[in-house]
Amino acid sequence: MSLTIKCQLSLVRIVRKKVASSHNGDSASHPFWLWLFSLSMSLLIMRPTLASEKPDFNRDVRPILADKCFSCHGPDQKHREAELRLDAEDSARPDGIIVPGHSEKSRMIERILTSDPETHMPPAKTGKTLSEKEVQVLRNWIDTGAEFAPHWAYVAPKESSPPSQSVGANFIDFYVAKEQSKRNLKSSPPADHRTLIRRLSFDLAGLPASIDDLKKFQDAGPGKSTADYVETLLSSDHFGERMAVFWLDLVRYADTVGYHGDQDHQSSPYRDYVIDAFNRNVPFDQFTREQLAGDLLEGAGDDQKAASCYNRLLQTSHEGGVQAKEYLAIYQADRVRNVSAVWLGATMGCSQCHDHKFDPYTTKDFYSLAAFFADVDEERHLKGEGGDNIPTKRPPEVPVQTWRERVRIDALKAEIQQLEKAPVNAARDERLKDARRRLESLEKNRRLVMVTQALKEPRTIRVLPRGNWLDDSGEIVTPAIPQFLGSVSVNRRATRLDLANWLTDPHQGVGGLTARVFVNRVWALFFGAGLCRSLDDFGGQGESPDHPELLDALALDFIRSGWDVKHLVRTIVLSQTYQQSSQETPELLERDPDNRMLTRQAHWRLPAEFVRDTALSVSGLLNEEIGGPSVHPYQPEGYYRHLNFPKREYAADKDARQWRRGVYVHWQRQFIHPMMKAFDAPSREECTAQRPRSNTPLAALVLLNDPTFLECARGLADRVLAVEGQSDAERIRDAYRIVLCREPDDFEAKTLLELLAAERQEFSDSPADATSMLTAGIAPQHANDPVEAAAWTSVARALLNLSETYLRD
Amino acid sequence: MTPNTLNRRTFLSSQGLGLGAVALHAMLQNETLGGNAAPLADRSGTDRWTGLSDVRHHPAKAKRVIYLYMSGGPSHLETFDYKPKLDQLNGQPMPESFTKGQPIAQLQGQQLKVQGHMTGFRQYGQSGQWISDFLPWHGKFVDDIAIIRSMVTDQINHDPAHTMMNTGTALSGRPSMGSWITYGLGSEAEDLPGFVVMTSFAGRNPQPISQRMWGNGFLPGRFQGVEFNASGDPVNYLRNPTGVTSEQQRRLVDSVANLDRHRNLQFHRPDIETRISQYEMAFRMQSSVPELMDISEEPKEVLELYGATPGDGSFASNCLTARRLAERGVRFIQLYHRDWDHHGDLVKYMNMCCGATDRATWALLTDLKRRGMLDDTLIVWGGEFGRTPMFQGKGGPGRDHHIKGFSMWMAGGGIKGGVSHGATDELGYNSVEDVVHVRDMHATMLHLLGIDHEQFSVRFQGLDARLTGVEPAAPIRSILM
Repeated sequence: MSLTIKCQLSLVRIVRKKVASSHNGDSASHPFWLWLFSLSMSLLIMRPTLASEKPDFNRDVRPILADKCFSCHGPDQKHREAELRLDAEDSARPDGIIVPGHSEKSRMIERILTSDPETHMPPAKTGKTLSEKEVQVLRNWIDTGAEFAPHWAYVAPKESSPPSQSVGANFIDFYVAKEQSKRNLKSSPPADHRTLIRRLSFDLAGLPASIDDLKKFQDAGPGKSTADYVETLLSSDHFGERMAVFWLDLVRYADTVGYHGDQDHQSSPYRDYVIDAFNRNVPFDQFTREQLAGDLLEGAGDDQKAASCYNRLLQTSHEGGVQAKEYLAIYQADRVRNVSAVWLGATMGCSQCHDHKFDPYTTKDFYSLAAFFADVDEERHLKGEGGDNIPTKRPPEVPVQTWRERVRIDALKAEIQQLEKAPVNAARDERLKDARRRLESLEKNRRLVMVTQALKEPRTIRVLPRGNWLDDSGEIVTPAIPQFLGSVSVNRRATRLDLANWLTDPHQGVGGLTARVFVNRVWALFFGAGLCRSLDDFGGQGESPDHPELLDALALDFIRSGWDVKHLVRTIVLSQTYQQSSQETPELLERDPDNRMLTRQAHWRLPAEFVRDTALSVSGLLNEEIGGPSVHPYQPEGYYRHLNFPKREYAADKDARQWRRGVYVHWQRQFIHPMMKAFDAPSREECTAQRPRSNTPLAALVLLNDPTFLECARGLADRVLAVEGQSDAERIRDAYRIVLCREPDDFEAKTLLELLAAERQEFSDSPADATSMLTAGIAPQHANDPVEAAAWTSVARALLNLSETYLRD
Repeated sequence: MTPNTLNRRTFLSSQGLGLGAVALHAMLQNETLGGNAAPLADRSGTDRWTGLSDVRHHPAKAKRVIYLYMSGGPSHLETFDYKPKLDQLNGQPMPESFTKGQPIAQLQGQQLKVQGHMTGFRQYGQSGQWISDFLPWHGKFVDDIAIIRSMVTDQINHDPAHTMMNTGTALSGRPSMGSWITYGLGSEAEDLPGFVVMTSFAGRNPQPISQRMWGNGFLPGRFQGVEFNASGDPVNYLRNPTGVTSEQQRRLVDSVANLDRHRNLQFHRPDIETRISQYEMAFRMQSSVPELMDISEEPKEVLELYGATPGDGSFASNCLTARRLAERGVRFIQLYHRDWDHHGDLVKYMNMCCGATDRATWALLTDLKRRGMLDDTLIVWGGEFGRTPMFQGKGGPGRDHHIKGFSMWMAGGGIKGGVSHGATDELGYNSVEDVVHVRDMHATMLHLLGIDHEQFSVRFQGLDARLTGVEPAAPIRSILM
């Protein structure tokens, strides 16, 4: 197998050269090279399979059929050609199309191999062709019995006994080692301490580790230290903030309505609910119920109300001339796309207009799922109650206190009680007054949040033929889950709560699938890629998992633990697989090019929010307050000039809110903060399961010139200058420790000393520039000498522009 | 590290930081479809994207696009679609045969009556095409443009209609046409983004416009449209922090590059070189963009041709900047003029809009033509929809949104001049002859750029996503040279 990969690699090299050398001419004149190239690449991205294995239908065969055949011979009944369906056993076999054991007698193979353009499959007009390798897989599969298997994702996770291995920290390592050993591969050595704690801190808190963390870690001694550090991080409130960034992308949380005037709506208590839920370790099944059906739960309190804002997070509009009927159709489709994407890893959007071409979702399924939400009260803004104001109205909205606010209130009440009993004196009176004032302000300042309230009479939901909202000819549907996945058995109209229960019930529902989808995405947070690479598509066009047994084991363990998210995270990060080095050796790159066998950890640039948080953290400016209304960092003037109804004036915060974490930054769907955008944060108009990671000049301009980053550099310089009596070299060492948790080597120290000297000279020559540079932002400046402060700010800017500063590896 | 190993490494790493890696990952996914192949190797040694190697399906007629986006929905009945019958029925009830069961925007529930043309029409040029009196300068280049009088779209409200016109669907999250095109063809610009957007308005309270219209959707971030601002910093964060000189910024960028390269000696991560090259580009943009945007260096005669005053942020200045962008190799240039939503006081606002755009449009075509650039530059003019043949009176007479028939035009790179395509019915309501959907317009644009729209796809959520979507679409053959 390694030999095969090597051959492919050298082929790629040759082809690559060939393509490169032809680029000045018309590259299309080299179809042969391109063909070879594309063939070799298609082999490359396949999981390294073992030559001796019999083709596995789901792993090897289905992807080929799904891609090349299902669009005409798949689940979509209306567009099915020749009544042939290749996604299910009984329909594929008749008429000698597939003759198990005999590829040479199977008409399918004959039609693929024929040179007659009239009968050749796939037809030329599809633009699809089968590679020689793919044809061979199909032949092998037929020759070895043509066994079909249901799509992996729709089969409940299977228990398997973990492979017995002597190495590894937990079952994750056992499964990984088993797959690796089949291919004569093994994991990389453990990452060094510094890398590991930076990795853990970025991954679990979204913030950089400090040099103190490292010291404590090293002092604690081997074994215990990692577990202790992980527990510290899991019990820190930053864990919830970190996880919220991930969840809010999925549910498309934002501070504005998204369409047309993109006015603010009331949603921040939902964001805080998510943060609190992860911190309180609310079990994921309960988390699901509270969001989909918080209002239907017995004794629903403020948390459940805030959670039910999930159903209201979608984009809405009250643009002049909207028709309520059309927009209700848009909203219901949006909801079906999101629920199915978030919990089922499905791409049901296609079935709004036609049966899904690759998965068994029908149009009726689409509208039946929509019918669960037919009771969501949401029409009022379409009928005159929305307004061109900031914030606009999206009734129903109710005032709530978040869990954290209630905790604070309880603490204040207790404090007040204590103080009331204390001996009367001026200090006590002052404290009591202060506590009462804070209590009053907390109790008074309840934030509004859009909530789900059930209408007495749910709207009538019809199948909309071809998605056309003007067409009333479709059948009326009632709430039902996709038919091929079973049914919800209740003797009344099924509710959103039934849906939530079905999603998380591993026995009567699709809990196994939901668990897989979730653990796979959580895995990707800690490895950069899922065990199933297509985080957003567990359907027929998605990839099948590289480690199906491990994925199942994790999903089942997650369910058994009571949907305990912290348990899941702990299990993953305590594995040796997680803790190994991310160093890519030439050998690993050749033998496990895409790291599908997990022979190393991965490295990536932090997500947008954590880029911001990291700069704020090392500068000493970070405001660690949790929750509250969204905040407004500095933003280029006029950035909102295309918004209207009403026209928008952006007012940057002028106090410590300026230094709050990225998760709290005001999310304007039509114009998300340019820093966030430059670092690939999504607009949150639709579900995002995986952000891209780009590398653009716009991102460079942010780190170079955004006032926030300049202010951070100023703060960092201040920090370094605050220690008196240090040499320049010592200060550079301190800066490296603060920012990167390590000491600079000679080259690095020399480079920065040279930069410092040049900047010192520059600013001494024009001290006005130094003063002017130090005006960035509103943070106070402690260092007295402007030339020194400015020169060190330049050094700090260099550190805040390093790739390594934002690298999780 | 030799360039060869660098390439190979870039190639194999799909989980690193590199944009190249991300794009490649997307392409690798495509590979299994036999879809788009790898990018052409870079010409400049920087990290410039030069496009996919296999989307040039046939010889291109156009190298670049300048899209004059008349945002708000210009009335076809006061620009390019002359209907004598409309004047005859002026003020009478709109025949129900036209409107029954049709989607209606602000006129919901109101009595519908016919509104005749609010201006005169006359024939111009060799071709004798009818143009309204609001657009006298269009009369001068009517023989260079192909007018499509039978456009239709699916969306009747601004926001979704813009999304439809720009991305081919009303769903959020899809790449805009400019992103598709820069992804497919790359850019020839050394120091500039491949897809640039500029906006203007001339006084009316304009409809909002979202970044989604030039968004990259599921494509990598480098393919997003970059907005150049007419005032303030031309690009966000383009200006050095106060007190920092260009030399200091250079020194900083160099120090960062040296430190990054040095650290990378241990790790050999190819994305570090990508990042360094992006910093270089950022630094170069800090001088190239202000230089580009400074039209005051243009000869007086050119400024007068456009009617542009440097720094005024007008459509005219944007047109001149568009020419400068085109000269520098930018692939897709989109100018939004945001004043065209005329529910009432249509005459007043048409005078304002046409006053701001008519002459500048003529100047742009004239200037490109005399520089020999019109032949390989595709110009597109149009809004997100048209306006009703029915009266709406918010203030003086106006017209509501209309999606069943409206006009656009194309010119330059590969387009036949002096022709028209399609027609609406006698009242300008329904497109009835050679109907052109937004998708067909997109297919035409791609065709002229050498791309077969059916074969230009990216795997997204299990589908081969295309700009033209899944419904049938075809280039408008009759207007092609």
